[in-house]
Amino acid sequence: MKKYTQTSGEIGDFSQLPIWQKYAWVDLLYVSYGLLIVALVLVSYMFGMLHWLPYDPQQINMDMLMAPPFSQGYWLGTDFMGRDIQSRLIMGIQAYFLPGLLAVSISLLAGVMLGILSGYLGGKIETVITYITNLIDSFPRLVLILLVVAAFKPDIYYIMMVMGITGIPAVATAIANKIRFLAQKNFIEAAIALGLRTRAIILKHILWYNCRALLIIQATLGMGEAILLETSLSYLGFGVQEPVASWGNMVQSGANYFLQGNFWPSTAPALAILFTILGFNLLGDGLNNILEDRRGR
Amino acid sequence: MTSIPLRAIAYTLIKELMLTFLLLLGVSFIIFAILYAAPGDQFNILLEGQLPTEAARAGIRDAMGVAQSWYGQYFSWLLGVLSGNFGTSVRTGLPVAGELINVSLNTLYLTLGSMVVTLLFAIPVALYSCVRGHVVAVGWSLTMLGYIISALPVFWLGYIAIYISIHVFGIFPLVSMGNPSQSNAWLSTLVPILVLGLGSGTLSEVIRSLREELSRVMAEDYVRTARAKGASVWRHAFKEGMLIPVTEIIAAKIPFILGGAVIVEQIFNWPGMGRMAWQAAQDRDFSVIMGITLVAATFVRLGSLLQRIICTAVNPHQANE
Amino acid sequence: MAVLATQPLLKIENLRTYFYARSKHSFIRAVDGVSLEVGHSETVGVVGESGSGKSIAAMSVMGLISNGPGVIGGSIRFTGRRVQRDLLEGLDKFVNVKERHGRVMVVNKDEAGWQKASERQMKNLRGKEIAMIFQNPRASLNPYITVGEQLTEAVQLHTLYKTRKEASDRALYWLEQVKIDSPRLRFNSYPADLSGGMCQRAMIAMALSSEPALLIADEPTTGLDATIQSKIVNLLEELKSETGISTLLISHDISVISRLADRVAVMYGGAVVEYGQSKLVLGEDASIKHPYTAALLASVPSEQQIRDKASLQTIEGDVLDTINVPAGCRFYARCNQITPEINEKCASHHPELREISPGHQVRCWRFSN
Repeated sequence: MKKYTQTSGEIGDFSQLPIWQKYAWVDLLYVSYGLLIVALVLVSYMFGMLHWLPYDPQQINMDMLMAPPFSQGYWLGTDFMGRDIQSRLIMGIQAYFLPGLLAVSISLLAGVMLGILSGYLGGKIETVITYITNLIDSFPRLVLILLVVAAFKPDIYYIMMVMGITGIPAVATAIANKIRFLAQKNFIEAAIALGLRTRAIILKHILWYNCRALLIIQATLGMGEAILLETSLSYLGFGVQEPVASWGNMVQSGANYFLQGNFWPSTAPALAILFTILGFNLLGDGLNNILEDRRGR
Repeated sequence: MTSIPLRAIAYTLIKELMLTFLLLLGVSFIIFAILYAAPGDQFNILLEGQLPTEAARAGIRDAMGVAQSWYGQYFSWLLGVLSGNFGTSVRTGLPVAGELINVSLNTLYLTLGSMVVTLLFAIPVALYSCVRGHVVAVGWSLTMLGYIISALPVFWLGYIAIYISIHVFGIFPLVSMGNPSQSNAWLSTLVPILVLGLGSGTLSEVIRSLREELSRVMAEDYVRTARAKGASVWRHAFKEGMLIPVTEIIAAKIPFILGGAVIVEQIFNWPGMGRMAWQAAQDRDFSVIMGITLVAATFVRLGSLLQRIICTAVNPHQANE
Repeated sequence: MAVLATQPLLKIENLRTYFYARSKHSFIRAVDGVSLEVGHSETVGVVGESGSGKSIAAMSVMGLISNGPGVIGGSIRFTGRRVQRDLLEGLDKFVNVKERHGRVMVVNKDEAGWQKASERQMKNLRGKEIAMIFQNPRASLNPYITVGEQLTEAVQLHTLYKTRKEASDRALYWLEQVKIDSPRLRFNSYPADLSGGMCQRAMIAMALSSEPALLIADEPTTGLDATIQSKIVNLLEELKSETGISTLLISHDISVISRLADRVAVMYGGAVVEYGQSKLVLGEDASIKHPYTAALLASVPSEQQIRDKASLQTIEGDVLDTINVPAGCRFYARCNQITPEINEKCASHHPELREISPGHQVRCWRFSN
């Protein structure tokens, strides 16, 4: 049974509806959860940078090994060396935050440029760019990164540059497809006929008016992927090394105690990863639905 | 009955084979460039590894005059690779090629199995939420489940799976530690496949893309025609709404699943490419990691080739354009 | 047979098909109380601007509405030779409508239940007794299946030609019947290899292949080239005289309607505003017409006007937004025939469809006394 109700009376100016009536509540829920997570990550990042932490994340407390949550003073408990999990989670954000931003901005910048070139110019340039994106897409991301790790033993910023490069094809293809779609609707011809400058058409009419939603969802999805990759790498032992905290190596080092039934030390960072990536993904999808005006009929 | 359009398939096959060849050439060049740029003359070590005897290795740099220039080095390495000579592993001292076949078959088993798991989960959910999408509560909770499973780190999911299978089902799912004489040995291989299939982070994307494609096709004019003439909607929507999207998403997700395999193989001690790549990255074993990257890229390209051919077989008109 | 003589083939009464604008929290009253009749061997034309609800009404008859809430009331009585049935019978238990001041404000609809029951009602009717052709014929044929295969499927589903060989022979016969050139070649082609006109011919062949009692043609010529359009209209005209099939013809093109239709219904804002014999409704005499019909006819240039290069008349104002249906006459805002005496009534009360001469109904206060 589905219920439809006309709430706005007989005649009304619908543009003045409050925001919670204008959009689907699911999308608003997604976006508010996502914004909450982003804000939490940002604030925690600041706190970590300023070392405003409940405890020193590397301070060992042999009296409090693997304390459960809410035990005296340690409200997220301690790990196998008695280190405060809450402080380590906050410090773990340092491991992926800036590198992740780097990866996302490389993907977006290069992807937008390649996408515009191939979508707007077409022809031979399009063929070459399609070849390049296909080439990048041929490498499984993690395998390519392991190759780079083997060759250079680079630090996380270089790894994230590679990650950014592997994210280029998705952005470039999406932008090029969008431009092709707009061209199909004679949108671009109309803009040229109106005498607009190429730069204005590309920057304002294509990128800003039509690709905004797409770029936002790519950025949030990219950030989610960057977090997953950084944690995976530090889990595999190629990223941040113990005793410096990263969510990935926290899961890994806690895992030794996991099978004995001490779930918490590796579950806490795993949940942090889950909630954070979920937040970025939901933010992207919710914003996309709202900006793309997918509000039903 | 519609016959299989052989000419269109042959045309696509030739075109796509050429493209695949060009792309793999590009892949090999990028691998070469990375190793060439690596510090410590790594590429020459790699070239030496391709030679059978110590004596031949000693004289390589003088013997191969062309190998001094970078393109000479590239081509002599590429010729070796093409004839199946991937060099020798630093770690084991054995030729890489033979071992590569073993591990890639293991990885193929893992990844194909996990794709089946992903599809077995994703197709019913996509179908259900497309057909019964208006039952808000059900559609929403299925979508949410997909989101959550996709955001779960696969390495943690792996430990949960191990814990559950040991304590609830009494299976010890660590492959190389498992006793092969056990009757339920295949059962223990099922656990990593399940974990990779559900947790590789592709599930929610697969669900979403299948659902969107299906809803789009269900709104097409020709599906309306099928309903208007009283024919089966599924018969008409199947090719464009299910077959093509499924092959497309599988082909697009092969790299992600191979990446996920690196982690899952690490957790479950699965003797596959991913574990070998991890070991090689630890040891800086160039012949091995190079071989694995090449094989993985070949898998990706072959998947995409297969997808193009299926597409052509289904809709021969597109190929002629 | 007595039933057949007294009952029209299709009798739509007070059909209401609503959609819901989620962003505006209000209903789109696409079809709001439409009543229509199609007699045996009769062609009824439905004409109106785009957005007047004529296509939605046709889709409602076929049970093809998939957006919510969809059809929420009315009856659609089909009285064919083989089947006599109300297509909406028993479906009202899935809908609960709450009205305020005569206007629907809340709809509760069990869409899954409705859909299931509707499919049951439409079984062995859709495609068999009532066939439909659409605008944009190229998109309406399945691009992944050959034209012949799609026709054969329809023949196998609805006629006694059950074996493949018989059915495909029959399909070929119908392709010849719609005068497609080189039918054998087209039989094995994919729709993408056919022109729009050929696709529409194939669609017509597919619709007629089950020898239905009623053909619903939803804008059959829209989107085709002008010359192709007139050829399709010629074909429909010939098929009408040959087979005597009843047709519900929907078009915004008055010339198409005037060539094919025996009776015409003019729709505006989801309601029929005028209904009667084609020659009366589309005739010269503007004094016995609804103001909207008169304006619609005036906006079509006559040959004389084209010769004189006279400027075209347009209907002032925009097409009615069926979200904000006004309290009074729906055409009030655009009407140019309001006199001071009836102005108040026009603005505040929705007029009824009223018979002004036998078989000619008009919905206008001008004819209220």
